Amino acid sequence: MQTFLDTAVILLPLAYLLVAVDYGFLFFSSHPVAERTATPALRGAVLLHLAYLVALTIHRHQFPAATVAQALAMVAFFVAVVYVFVEWHGRARSTGFWLVSLVFFFQLLSSVLTRPNPPDRAIFHDPFFSVHVLLALLGYTAFVVAAGYGFLFLQLYRDLKSGRFATFYGKLPPLEVLERMMTGALLIGFAALTGAVVTGALWANRLYHDQWLHDPKIVFTLATWVLYAAALLLRRLRRWQGRQTALASLAGFGAILFSLMVVNFFFTGGFHGFL
Amino acid sequence: MTAPLLEPASGSRQEPPLLLVGTDYRCSPIELREKVAYGKEETEEMLVHLLARTEVAEAFLLSTCNRTEVYLQPRDEEGAYHAILDMVFLHRVPELERPGRLYVKRNGEAARHLLGVASGLESMVLGEPEILGQVKQASALAEAVGAEGPVLRRLLRSAAAAGKRARQETAITSGAVSLGYAVVELARNIFRGLEECQVLLIGAGEIARSVARPVVERGARELRVANRSLERAQQFKAEFPNAEILAFDDRLTALQTADLVIASTGADEPVLTRAHLKAAMKHRPSRPLLVVDLGVPRNVEPRAGRLENVFLHAIDSLDTLIQRNLKRRKEEVPKVEEIIEQELTLFRGWVRGLEAEPLIARLQKQAEKIRRNEMEAALARFPQETHEELERLTRSLVRKILHHPSTRLRTRDGGAGDLSRLDMVRELFHLDDDETAD
Repeated sequence: MQTFLDTAVILLPLAYLLVAVDYGFLFFSSHPVAERTATPALRGAVLLHLAYLVALTIHRHQFPAATVAQALAMVAFFVAVVYVFVEWHGRARSTGFWLVSLVFFFQLLSSVLTRPNPPDRAIFHDPFFSVHVLLALLGYTAFVVAAGYGFLFLQLYRDLKSGRFATFYGKLPPLEVLERMMTGALLIGFAALTGAVVTGALWANRLYHDQWLHDPKIVFTLATWVLYAAALLLRRLRRWQGRQTALASLAGFGAILFSLMVVNFFFTGGFHGFL
Repeated sequence: MTAPLLEPASGSRQEPPLLLVGTDYRCSPIELREKVAYGKEETEEMLVHLLARTEVAEAFLLSTCNRTEVYLQPRDEEGAYHAILDMVFLHRVPELERPGRLYVKRNGEAARHLLGVASGLESMVLGEPEILGQVKQASALAEAVGAEGPVLRRLLRSAAAAGKRARQETAITSGAVSLGYAVVELARNIFRGLEECQVLLIGAGEIARSVARPVVERGARELRVANRSLERAQQFKAEFPNAEILAFDDRLTALQTADLVIASTGADEPVLTRAHLKAAMKHRPSRPLLVVDLGVPRNVEPRAGRLENVFLHAIDSLDTLIQRNLKRRKEEVPKVEEIIEQELTLFRGWVRGLEAEPLIARLQKQAEKIRRNEMEAALARFPQETHEELERLTRSLVRKILHHPSTRLRTRDGGAGDLSRLDMVRELFHLDDDETAD
């Protein structure tokens, strides 16, 4: 089992890199080989990823998000699954290169940060806590997807505005579809993050009373939550349009990366220091 | 006579026996082309007349607004050529006799030309997709009057395959290359579907109509037109009965709900200003608005294009799009040519297979004769009940022995060795003698 886990950690980023290159050929040159191979290759990589996460769960007897590396691998997996679903639904195959590149990025970070024999965290055996973590990871996933489609929205918007009809024009789904996918992902992400904040608060309050409020991770997560809430509210009030929402989704992506990487590694004194 | 002369045949047995005489937009102006344009019934009639000539074995006539071409499988090439020239072309337009008005292609070149036509390589607008349907319709017509024989039928199947593959495997037909379709393409990059778009036309002249046609054809259902002259607006409505006519001043109210605005008036001043669009966008902040300005001088204030969610494109921008798409289509030409060569190779292989068929038949006949002779001599030595089994066994032996040589003869590679191989088979098996003996 350990050998499989060690091998999968190396294989997964490589597999996603190859799939991203395949989708790159599809996006930039509509290469016929890439037309045939991209989707099966991605599905193969996702199956390998699933096997890795299942093996990790069985091997460690806990929800596989006990370390930053594991959390990143979960986000990468969920983003890949979301994209597989989007493609299966018959939409936006041309966005595969960008979404799979994000998957590769997160899995590469995960593989680089993976350490042999991470400590066993008793807290991750608690199902209620696992729900909190799962909701947080689903929220992050949705925000990553929103950022991906937000980025593509901005590129197509720029092409259409300028009349240059450059790289992105004609290759992506219509602007309205990109906007709808971005907004849908933002709403799902916001709901999941809200759920994560609420379940986390309930759980922490039970054990730590009000001390947990000073935890840097929680402070930063609440700030991220406020950013997304403001973006969605301004959009609802028709103050913000697609472009501003897309910019907010990119800012949110930056906040998530900061939260996952910088806060977890450099602000380790708080409640979330166990990561 | 100064029409293209039919040069002597090369005598090659490697090429399909074909003859093409035609004229297209590159050779003849519209005034001449329209005189040799054949409608459905005229085509049927002409094919029947051509087939009545002893020089013609099979015939196919393709007549579109850009070309009239006749493809024949001739029995007598010279006679067939003059038949086409006189009956199809010169009889109607003697001016086509002038040099350069008609082209003549033979054998492989004629086949390659038809495959190029079906793939859109020969079209006035490179990659124009309708030609494939026109070739198929003309083929069905020839089939219906019995003008298509095995060679032309197989050639037309190759042409259809090349055209289909060119569309599916290359981008030769992709991207808009006309003003109207450029507008459709822009709209499709912004909106989920044209059927959900409300279209507002400001101006109802010829340009507006030419753009409205593809927009409606591609699904737009809600069409509103604001024009200063009510008479012209009514003319517009005659062509587009679903269109709603608005007073010119109502255009500003209509802006609030429109998704696609096409302005094409002859006004000297902008009919839509930045202020107009800014006011309209307040009623629709999250919905994009595509504004196409086809007026010269411009109908829409250029500054309006800087407004959030307003996509303003003038005629230059559309031209950039068209030129970009044409360039992309041109880049696809080598890929289409490769497909044509592949299909042509298959067609040539099939034609060569036809040449080998009589030889294969003779080979089988001779083998069967030998088998029968041997069986007659041998059967008396075997019990009656084994005769049927022996029949079956010897037939099977002959069939299996001849299977591989027959397959090889049918699928020759077209190289110089092919003919000598046929001769060698004749020589080895004394097939000429056998034929004489039979």
